[in-house]
Amino acid sequence: MHKRTSQTMRLSKFISLALAAMLASCAQPATDPTTIPVSGEMVAELTSPPIVPAPVGSRKATKLKVEMEIVEKEAEMADGVRYIYWTFGGSVPGKFIRTRIGDEVAFTLKNHPDNKLPHNIDLHAVTGPGGGATSSFVAPGHQITFSFKTLNPGLYVYHCATAPVGMHIANGMYGLILVEPEGGLPKVDREYYIMQGDFYTKGENGQPGLQPFDMAKAIDEDADYVVFNGRVGSLTGDNAITANVGETVRLFVGNGGPNLVSSFHVIGEIFDKVHIEGGSVINENVQTTLIPAGGAAIVEFKVEVPGTFILVDHSIFRAFNKGALGMLKVQGEENKTVYSGKQQEGIYHPEGGTIQKMPGEAPAARKASSVAERIEFGKQVYSKTCFACHQPDGQGIPSAFPPLANSDYLNADVKRAIKIVIEGKTGEIIVNGKKYNSVMTAQALTDEEIANVLTYVYHSWGNNKTVVTPKMVARVRSGH
Amino acid sequence: MTRTCLLLVSWLAMSAGPASGQSSTEMQKITGGTFVPLYGADSAEVHIDDFYLDVYPVTNAQFVDFVRSYPNWRRSQVIRLFADQNYLRTWADDTTLGAGMLPRAPVTYVSWFAAKAYCECLGKRLPTMDEWEYVAMADEKQKDARADSLFNQRIISGYETPDTHIQPVGSTYRNFWGIYDMHGLIWEWTSDFNSVLISGESRKDGDTDRNLFCAAGSVNATDLMNYAAFMRYALRGSIKARYSLRSLGFRCAKDVSE
Amino acid sequence: MRKAHITMLFLLAGLLLAAACGQSQKNAAPTLYQCPMKCEGGKTYPRQINCPVCNMKLQPLTDGPEKKANTAEIPELSIFHLSSEWHTQAGDTVTFRDFQGDILVVVMIYTSCKSACPRLVADMRNIHQKVGRADGIKYIFVSIDPETDTPDRLKEFARKNLLESDEWVFLHGSTDDVREFSNVVAVKYKKISPIDFSHSNIISVFDRNGVLYYQQEGLGVDNKEIVAKIKALRERGR
Repeated sequence: MHKRTSQTMRLSKFISLALAAMLASCAQPATDPTTIPVSGEMVAELTSPPIVPAPVGSRKATKLKVEMEIVEKEAEMADGVRYIYWTFGGSVPGKFIRTRIGDEVAFTLKNHPDNKLPHNIDLHAVTGPGGGATSSFVAPGHQITFSFKTLNPGLYVYHCATAPVGMHIANGMYGLILVEPEGGLPKVDREYYIMQGDFYTKGENGQPGLQPFDMAKAIDEDADYVVFNGRVGSLTGDNAITANVGETVRLFVGNGGPNLVSSFHVIGEIFDKVHIEGGSVINENVQTTLIPAGGAAIVEFKVEVPGTFILVDHSIFRAFNKGALGMLKVQGEENKTVYSGKQQEGIYHPEGGTIQKMPGEAPAARKASSVAERIEFGKQVYSKTCFACHQPDGQGIPSAFPPLANSDYLNADVKRAIKIVIEGKTGEIIVNGKKYNSVMTAQALTDEEIANVLTYVYHSWGNNKTVVTPKMVARVRSGH
Repeated sequence: MTRTCLLLVSWLAMSAGPASGQSSTEMQKITGGTFVPLYGADSAEVHIDDFYLDVYPVTNAQFVDFVRSYPNWRRSQVIRLFADQNYLRTWADDTTLGAGMLPRAPVTYVSWFAAKAYCECLGKRLPTMDEWEYVAMADEKQKDARADSLFNQRIISGYETPDTHIQPVGSTYRNFWGIYDMHGLIWEWTSDFNSVLISGESRKDGDTDRNLFCAAGSVNATDLMNYAAFMRYALRGSIKARYSLRSLGFRCAKDVSE
Repeated sequence: MRKAHITMLFLLAGLLLAAACGQSQKNAAPTLYQCPMKCEGGKTYPRQINCPVCNMKLQPLTDGPEKKANTAEIPELSIFHLSSEWHTQAGDTVTFRDFQGDILVVVMIYTSCKSACPRLVADMRNIHQKVGRADGIKYIFVSIDPETDTPDRLKEFARKNLLESDEWVFLHGSTDDVREFSNVVAVKYKKISPIDFSHSNIISVFDRNGVLYYQQEGLGVDNKEIVAKIKALRERGR
């Protein structure tokens, strides 16, 4: 069933290399990862769970092309239970992406024309706004390309972030992207890809037929199914992952959520090593490791005895009632199925969720009765009228809009300041020793508003705390 | 824009004899009112005037009539500025539906420009997004059934079900206003679909990106429980007017004063 | 709507003259005449009568000094296919087709905007300054608030912002046509209150045939790339 990695033959040859790599990664100098040069170009190998792509080994950072297709499709959630999954690459979790630090990833996201919804992707391995989500919003029948450089080694979750985001994740839109350190992770005999997720269906657990997503249950975090790799039984029976006695196994374990934190445990094994939360810290001799929703961990252990080892979320009702169960079959002798649990119906099903409404705001124009209020109201005016040019902290924009912070020009003459707000200002002025030649148009503000905003500005960013009153504004307006 | 259409009518009179004319869908009068859409204005409430709306989405057969009468909206002749390469892609040729397509099924793979032209050529227009949403919040019995969790669940399930667009119009429910298929068949174009100012980064969209959008007043979602509406607005935010999508069609509206 | 009805009357009257409106024009006799406003798209007449729609005197098509119009050569993605009419701050009526031969730098704003629009105006001014020589380039502001931004108000806005030389063009159009244009340049906008809109901050560059060449999105961009693009277009020659 599964790809048998055949490193065993050349294992001894690699041990020294692996050691060297480990040392290298431990003693890694603090070079700026943004400056790692890339050479050449390659198309990334993407794999469906539980298979992972070949290790990066000692390859140099490169321009890595990733093509991911979003597919909305019906598939089996459990025996007789169907569900419409939204997937990255046709599987839940989505295809595994394997990169190394410094790679420049050119990511193409394709939204299949048969799909009904727009999607995007937020990769936790991306350093940038939205993790790529902003750049990757794509309608059905369209595709989009964006690129990023991998800066931090580790195991990261990716997922769709289109509204309603919880529903996109709940329908299976998540996966893992691995960023290996320079020289790659140490060699092991077996590597597998496992990801937990919780599902919310209209019918209770086990109710047959096509089950639609249940929004109320999802919001209540009342899962009908908690499963590995998208469905009940994805890693049991004939689908179990395998190893031979004496081999080292590495599991890349993620948790898509959307709601539940996983207490990942392998019954009858102790993790020799855990890359905690998928990062660089390694813990040893761990029984159960926590995997947050939207997080991951790398666990490694050597299997010493044959048998079937059960993978569970040790929030144990999930394993036995909701499907969070997998198997690792270790061969060496006769194989025996330890567990043949029957599905049982859930027993907890509260109804409905509370409706949250945003209060409709209707602020009445109230007059400031104190300097403190003047400043408070003035700040509101500032953030509507002034901040775009003069910036949130009054720093202005070099050679375009003069600063209001610590401004000699402003502090020198309050009447002039009032006049500028009323009438606008054109032509050259010198502020804090720098020349500005721009255009500010007259601002349509009331006397009260001008008094407030100027008082706010004068009381902010190191200015001289002048209090401006509506009367002062009225005087300037009438030409006195 | 009515201009374009009238000119084409005159062209027809010259070259093709009397137009066969596209069959017009029956309309229902919608009594206006005030409601709070998912993304409204700064006062959250939006007022809708009385208007007429097509009882059914525009069908394949009706669109065939349309392109017969207005050759510049045929697949081979449409100007790329107004429709992308997917325009009417499932049709066998310029004026023939593809194998297995029902004449009574809603037309899809049409761009916003084409939808707009279609309505204008009948003396109609596309509904605004607020008008559309106003009608879409009705179930069989109530004007506003949005608080009904079962109604919401039914809509969401419809959105998730693949290939609903191949069914004939009228195959879903008739709502309070006498309008069919507001949910469960297709997405629909609206005249101002591009007023959805979301970046696709849903977790940030509550806080409108002041860099990408000039937001004099930013508008937040009014009801975090209305998943169905979130899905509709997300779709609108992801498309451009040239796009032609497999599950996106339209229906027409009309002012009452006319 | 009333306008449409009047148009209809004219059309009925001139039905026999009607040619392929909005269709690609066939190469025909040497001297043909066409409405400078393109009221009837590519429609031509054998004699120099007045346009049945807007009543302006038709202009010779093939041998005219401008020699702009050859419909067949307009690329499919050109905004010159838009038949919408616009009013400039000077009170002229134009279509985008009238800008053929110029590089267009276009932004959508509204004049009562206090938020990002002043920055967009500053960006346009900055691009204009960095590009230098403005012959053959038009800097166009399309108002997304046609109810408020009348041509007169646009003129006043231009005056206040010192954008009065010929290369600055402010356009006022119908609500429908503004919506259509926004869709062509993928600008999103929404009316938030009677006086306020939210809208995308996008500056678009069109080549001399009206085909979108480059878009700059966002504020606080240093304008370097867009300036380089405009200069590259200018170098490309006619």
